[in-house]
Amino acid sequence: MIEAVNLAKHYGAKTAVGGVTFTVKPGMVTGFLGPNGAGKSTTMRMIVGLDKPSAGTITVNGKPYAKHHDPLHQVGALLDAKAVHTSRSAYNHLLAMAATHNIPTSRVNEVIDMTGLAAVAKKKAGGFSLGMGQRLGIASALLGDPQTLILDEPVNGLDPEGVLWVRNLAKHLAGQGKTVFLSSHLMSEMAQTADHLIVIGRGQIIADAPIATILAGSQQARVRVRTADTARLGQLLSANGVQVQNNERETLEVSGVDSRQIAQVALENQVLVYELTPLTTSLEEAYFDLTKDSVEYHSQEFDDAAAEPAPALKGLQKR
Amino acid sequence: MSTTTIPAPSAAAGTTGLTFLGVLRSEWIKFRSLRSTQLLLLFTFVAVVGVGIIAAFLRGTIIDQIMKFGATGPTEPGAPAGHQLTLEQAIDAANAQGISIYGIPIAGLQLGILVLGALAVLLIASEFGTGMVRSTMTAVPKRLPAFFAKAIVLVVVSYVLTLVAAFVTFLISIPILHGYGIDMSLGRDGVVYTILMGGVYVAGVALTGLSLGTLIRSSAGGIIVLVALFFLLEIGTSLLGLVPGDFWKYVGQYVPSVAGGRMLEIGDKAAFISPLSGGLIFLGWIVLVTVPAVITLKTRDV
Repeated sequence: MIEAVNLAKHYGAKTAVGGVTFTVKPGMVTGFLGPNGAGKSTTMRMIVGLDKPSAGTITVNGKPYAKHHDPLHQVGALLDAKAVHTSRSAYNHLLAMAATHNIPTSRVNEVIDMTGLAAVAKKKAGGFSLGMGQRLGIASALLGDPQTLILDEPVNGLDPEGVLWVRNLAKHLAGQGKTVFLSSHLMSEMAQTADHLIVIGRGQIIADAPIATILAGSQQARVRVRTADTARLGQLLSANGVQVQNNERETLEVSGVDSRQIAQVALENQVLVYELTPLTTSLEEAYFDLTKDSVEYHSQEFDDAAAEPAPALKGLQKR
Repeated sequence: MSTTTIPAPSAAAGTTGLTFLGVLRSEWIKFRSLRSTQLLLLFTFVAVVGVGIIAAFLRGTIIDQIMKFGATGPTEPGAPAGHQLTLEQAIDAANAQGISIYGIPIAGLQLGILVLGALAVLLIASEFGTGMVRSTMTAVPKRLPAFFAKAIVLVVVSYVLTLVAAFVTFLISIPILHGYGIDMSLGRDGVVYTILMGGVYVAGVALTGLSLGTLIRSSAGGIIVLVALFFLLEIGTSLLGLVPGDFWKYVGQYVPSVAGGRMLEIGDKAAFISPLSGGLIFLGWIVLVTVPAVITLKTRDV
């Protein structure tokens, strides 16, 4: 159980996290979703006390993380796959981490086998690929068999098998009644793993709901209609304050009314309709819907206007 | 490689949680598991013993010269033989100029602290450099136990290393000095003292290095400041001695390397602080660097 109350973090004038309140409950996988720079990593670092909140509180199982007498048994965290000394072997890294909590060497070997690191455990961590580093980070997080698992972008750099493994691990631990909190900027990943979603953008919580609700929420009952007379039907439907989009030949996308109502209108006005398909929103669309105003780093559009010389340069060329 | 296994919750259960002894063990594992650490320790040992051996030959020769020509250096050939000193007189004369026989076991310390001090800075600065510090501070969220555990490992290792190196140098110097007719033994004034105290000086420098690494969080920056404190400051203040007025001549005694060096001598010296005062001033410098290091480690984000 993780509880944040009015949690904020400012770096000078810049606000990374702007007073968020949320709860991550045990027994399910909670996804933490948001664009780059939204405040996900900062929030996660504050959970384990690496960053101090500028305001508000964050507790794990009722207490600030540092106040627990057995922090690694409370929370296992993968915050940064690069949080290892590059010249130390994976085995010695885990051994040193385990020693702080008097965790036996047998557990170190267990997590090494579990994460598939056995073959490279005695090699320097600095030579690890991104995926191997990620596995070492996960091994480190699992050392204390924690009640709460926090994984920041856990599937980054993992091969498909590794991705599947992380997904199953998260679900398995949640099934044991543990709290699992994982962040990602990949909606597809969340759709397959998370039960509950917290969406963050520009340091603010945009949505905090079960994944099904988020999908349903943005899903404004859209229906694809194929008809012989798009103009007429479109006109008839628009009159009732319904949004109609004409995308392709003989195809309309209608939102705001259900299939039955559309059929009724078509029947009364003698318009031929040969397809009525309710459309479901993907999480991806729901996500873009939610975060479109809160993306910190917009990619620039590649249009021709941008290719033209800037006005100042134009002036120079005239001379 | 198989990654299909699902975690067994068993083995971690029944442990005692976070303890300082555990943190100490963790820091010891970290310390011994880096090749660079082992190499730097070896360098330190070789430096202290090597310079000590050279010093034994040099000081033996100097005393030999003083015996033959007097403390003021060679006189004209054919000078009266009455200028010659006895061996003990020559040793005293050399001692007055800071060239002591009892100091030979720790003659190499200045080079030793350079290597070991750098190792101390690296011990924590490399954690900041690689990101390891985030793992360390996640496991030990109160942070200070990790710093103190590092400090204990460092202080014990530097003390023991210096003690052994000084004693080995002492043993090697016995036959060398015998060649000059000088009797080197544990019974000689100051020998046991320097062998025991050399490690205190090195451990103090190491602690300063650890604090500088914690404060500055950069290996290069930390080592530069350490060198400035223990080498450049001494050179700078020795130039101050040229300034008219007695005050400036005393400032130089308060820089860490001079005060710490004085701690390793025995007996009084005209117009100079006592060895005990030197030790206290040296301690003051360590506190001056360690306190802000501890405060920033506790409060700053990592």
